[in-house]
Amino acid sequence: MIVLENVTKTYYPDSTGLEGVSLKIESGEFVSIVGQSGAGKTTLAKILMAEEQPSEGRVEIGGWDITRIRPREIPELRRQIGVIFQDYKLLPKKTVYENVSFALEVAGAKSKHIHDVVPQVLRIVGLEEKANRFPRQLSGGEQQRVVIARSLVHRPKVLLADEPTGNLDTLNTQDIMDLLVKINAFGTTVVLVTHNREVVNALRRRVITLKDGKVASDHAHGKYTLTV
Amino acid sequence: MTMAWRIFAASWKHFARNLWIGLATVVVFTMALLSVNVLLGANAIAERVVALLEERIDVTVTFNPGTPEGVLNQARFYIASLDQTERAELVSAEQALEEFKKRNANNPKILEALTELSGNPLGAQLIIKAKHPDDYPFLLDVVRGPQYSSFVRTSSYDDHKTAIAQIQQIGSQVRLFASGLVVVFILFGLLAAFNAIRVAIYTQREEIAIMRLVGASSSFIRMPFVLEGVWIALLASMLTFGFVVIGIEILDPRLTFLFDGMDTGLKSFFEMNALSLILIQAGGLSALSAAVSWIAVGRYIKR
Ligand SMILES: Nc1ncnc2c1ncn2[C@@H]1O[C@H](COP(=O)(O)OP(=O)(O)O)[C@@H](O)[C@H]1O
Ligand SMILES: [Mg+2]
Repeated sequence: MIVLENVTKTYYPDSTGLEGVSLKIESGEFVSIVGQSGAGKTTLAKILMAEEQPSEGRVEIGGWDITRIRPREIPELRRQIGVIFQDYKLLPKKTVYENVSFALEVAGAKSKHIHDVVPQVLRIVGLEEKANRFPRQLSGGEQQRVVIARSLVHRPKVLLADEPTGNLDTLNTQDIMDLLVKINAFGTTVVLVTHNREVVNALRRRVITLKDGKVASDHAHGKYTLTV
Repeated sequence: MTMAWRIFAASWKHFARNLWIGLATVVVFTMALLSVNVLLGANAIAERVVALLEERIDVTVTFNPGTPEGVLNQARFYIASLDQTERAELVSAEQALEEFKKRNANNPKILEALTELSGNPLGAQLIIKAKHPDDYPFLLDVVRGPQYSSFVRTSSYDDHKTAIAQIQQIGSQVRLFASGLVVVFILFGLLAAFNAIRVAIYTQREEIAIMRLVGASSSFIRMPFVLEGVWIALLASMLTFGFVVIGIEILDPRLTFLFDGMDTGLKSFFEMNALSLILIQAGGLSALSAAVSWIAVGRYIKR
């Protein structure tokens, strides 16, 4: 599903984001990417969603080589990858429903399709009752669930989440994690970037640890290893 | 269709969200278009004045008093038969005297002097109008030829050359000044449009970031801003149209006295060219504004 071959990302002028990273993620996997701040986790996520181009190496998603993807192909890629970033917020003047439908509208979906899909994804994240609320009327966890609902509207093959629980308390974090596991159970590949130890340890899924831009460890049923 | 409608709606939403800066841009655009139309109007009037002056040019041949009728008629007939002549009109000595008296009705001294003279001191006149202003020197040569020299007392030719030259000079100065104004206003207008679109993009930056995140195409992000540029240009065009119509209605009647009640050339110019003027100005400004908006969006949608 996702293949990285010897990917290096050097930021101008000489800051290293990633260095010689090779990894393979199979379809349907739930992979956690962990590491200390500055280890290169966000850089990896940005390369996967084509917000950054690798300086060296090769990146492939679902058989599509996106290493040198052309700008006008990026929208197509973004519809295949649902992205949940901590800093991509909801639009405050749109309701929950509108925030989610917005993602379909701007991608050219037909109104009928929108009417079908939005309630569906809101049901998945358990917010169908709060469709007409505005973001400020929701808790942090609920807001993040709206973001997840929005990322699901194109039925992505991959869900990419960069620190989705970074701003949440333990209870809300658990909610979000349960939701990601549920989405993964539907068959969506989930790539979770986090530095929350409990979260990763509770999952008991594959853990890739980055350090200084390199893969320090890759365990199939890993734990967050602080030592490396 | 769905997309076209969403782009259309988004373009007005952008405009409404930044109403004041949008309206300010409309005002600057309107001034640019108004300066274009003032230039065109002044030009139309100047051309009309020149045409009227050219119409007034004629050659007046004054014959000696007592020149036989036969000679006068023959001269008129001959001149009228020339290709260059538009028409040739004979004013008899009696008519010339009447005219002279009328003209000097307020001048008793001259009238007194006239009565002291025995008979009519004035000769008959032949007034010649050429088909084209360039033909006057030729016609003048003809009447000054040996054929008529013994009968002709004076032949004068007022070509209003200095007046025409003056009008044309004033005209070209006005044109130069107004052209400068047009350029300045259009540059300011485009700058204002660029700025307005930049502000619109700035206020929409969160939406744009999310749009890119969820896979909106670049053109879907860009088109509403380009369209907003077009709406601004079209609003300015409509305002300008209103101002020009009102301006003509006010100015034209007040200018007719300068033209002895005849056409001033102002209203007729705008009426005759209304369609092409509207299409060229509205279309040209819209295209420019769209291009500037396109550029303004530019770097915001790279990745
Ligand atoms: N836009 C950038 N320009 C320069 N250096 C950057 C940029 N983004 C990230 N980096 C650097 O790359 C390294 C990895 O950053 P990042 O991928 O954000 O780490 P993480 O998400 O694991 O905290 C850091 O040293 C960071 O300073
Ligand atoms: Mg990060």
